[in-house]
Amino acid sequence: MRVLICDDEAPARLRLRQLIDEIDGIEFVAEARNGKEALQRCHELEPDVVLLDIRMPGIDGIETARHLAEHNDPPAVIFTTAYGDFALSAFEANAVDYLLKPLRRERLQQALLKAHSLNKAQLQSLLVEDDFSAARTHLSIHNRDSLILIAVEDVISFQADHKYVTVHYTEGESLIEESLVSLEQEFSAQFLRIHRNALVANDRLTGIEKDASGQIHAIVDGLVEYPEISRRHVSEVRKLLKKKTR
Amino acid sequence: MKRVNQQHEATESQSSQEIFIPDFCNVRMVFAVVVVAQLLAFIFALGPQGKSSDQWLHLSLISLFVQWVALSNSALLCLLRQRMRNLSTILISGICLVLVELVTLVAGEISFLFTRGSDFAMLIPSSWHVEFLIRNAIISAIVTLLALRFFYLQYQLKINIVAESRARLQALQARIRPHFLFNSMNTIAGLTRSQPELAEAVVEDLADLFRVSLSDAGGWLSLNEELQLCQRYLNIEQIRLGDRLNIEWQKQSFSEDIKIPALSLQPLLENAIYHGIEMLPDGGTISIDCRCSGNEVVVVITNPLPLRRTPRKKSGHHIALDNIRERLAVCFKHKASLDIQSEKGEFRVCMKFHTSMNVTESVLS
Repeated sequence: MRVLICDDEAPARLRLRQLIDEIDGIEFVAEARNGKEALQRCHELEPDVVLLDIRMPGIDGIETARHLAEHNDPPAVIFTTAYGDFALSAFEANAVDYLLKPLRRERLQQALLKAHSLNKAQLQSLLVEDDFSAARTHLSIHNRDSLILIAVEDVISFQADHKYVTVHYTEGESLIEESLVSLEQEFSAQFLRIHRNALVANDRLTGIEKDASGQIHAIVDGLVEYPEISRRHVSEVRKLLKKKTR
Repeated sequence: MKRVNQQHEATESQSSQEIFIPDFCNVRMVFAVVVVAQLLAFIFALGPQGKSSDQWLHLSLISLFVQWVALSNSALLCLLRQRMRNLSTILISGICLVLVELVTLVAGEISFLFTRGSDFAMLIPSSWHVEFLIRNAIISAIVTLLALRFFYLQYQLKINIVAESRARLQALQARIRPHFLFNSMNTIAGLTRSQPELAEAVVEDLADLFRVSLSDAGGWLSLNEELQLCQRYLNIEQIRLGDRLNIEWQKQSFSEDIKIPALSLQPLLENAIYHGIEMLPDGGTISIDCRCSGNEVVVVITNPLPLRRTPRKKSGHHIALDNIRERLAVCFKHKASLDIQSEKGEFRVCMKFHTSMNVTESVLS
């Protein structure tokens, strides 16, 4: 069984490596210092198990687990955490196991054994059944040969076009396979719906303008082509702009 | 030593050490007795007395009598108070009542005998002798019982205030986050085999921190000692976080006389790490600027914060700060302040306090 370690603290990673080296049949694959690195490494190396610290900078452990669940062949996730980080029972169901730091060798062995005995289908069902309520900080896009992570704060707009949603962000644009409705729900605090097919980041929206044909467009910082605002969303946009000028 | 005693009294409110009767040897108490006795005399003089020939003469005689009784009792209680220390409340009350009654009777009898054959004989006619003494006894009994009740309630109030402020201080006592303890344990477990010297250093620093954290509330340290504790705390975090944690110290050497409630500064650093450095993939620099100007010490701690478009749950962030602020208010009697500033990914906390604070007078005086 191939294991990837992810923890932002060097001594914690050291400890995990020491323990893993002592357990037969477990192979250490790589280590990562944060969620972002873990996702990249998992994409490249496809480990069977990921030992994931929960409290980490950037993409935290819980969000990392969510992104991992989108893999076709997701690794088993075992959370490791110090006391009092999170209400453990809340996400107990979403991981194979969780371990409290400082870790005990027997507990780790037990957890790895449990991960081993689960088949892929069981794993997938564990991870997909997600009731994580917090919004993600990043979007992950799995291409054939790379993994792209886009920070939500870099996103300018989501625009739906037939089956796909195009994400416009500061460094370019990508297609994602999520529905506009679920994106709107998840990021309701940061994005505003301006049209049946578009969400725009609140802080990128700077004004509105009318074109020659009378259609209203949103002036969005960072977009070359200003998206249309539908009639029924105009008042919402005006309200936001008014709040911003105050 | 003084503090230990106070705690003793507070926890054993019914103990024999403290007595609910106030100290009558105290000048202020004597003055209070005189004032109250005079008020009492006014009440008697204002009462319906029929047609007294001379109101002022009547008042002065009553005043003379009441003051005499009151001051004699005060003098006796002043002498007896220490001896009654080990008695129960009820017994003390009984003794006081009997004492006051005896003094009143004796005073009444002397007044009666003294007025025989003088111009004032008509004030207490001979036929009135026994009734005069009985009336005096009843009045003094009622007044004494009221006074005892008042003393008892006042004493209870005082005990409650002491106990409450102690409990409040205890609740506000800074506690190091359990999170930190467990992370440190994990660090030690990780280092024990590969770098035993480093693990040893962590254990030593951790022991120093928890020795202070677990000790009783209300402890004071010199500013130098507190800064040393902060240094120990940062040593541990440095090992845990590695390159991600960068510290910039700016401090002068302080007089040992400058005191500060234990663990007032360390939680500010813990906050800076927990909400700042730990949340940044590349870490950052915490700067600590500590200086004394005149009789004021100013400590400024700055740390970077992760930029977030929408702050996630903000709660919890300010609990530690509010706690420290309230503790400073209690300990420095509002001669201290804690200000925070948060903008553009930087968090800044500024603590100011007076150095002139006398430690012994400030805690639960």
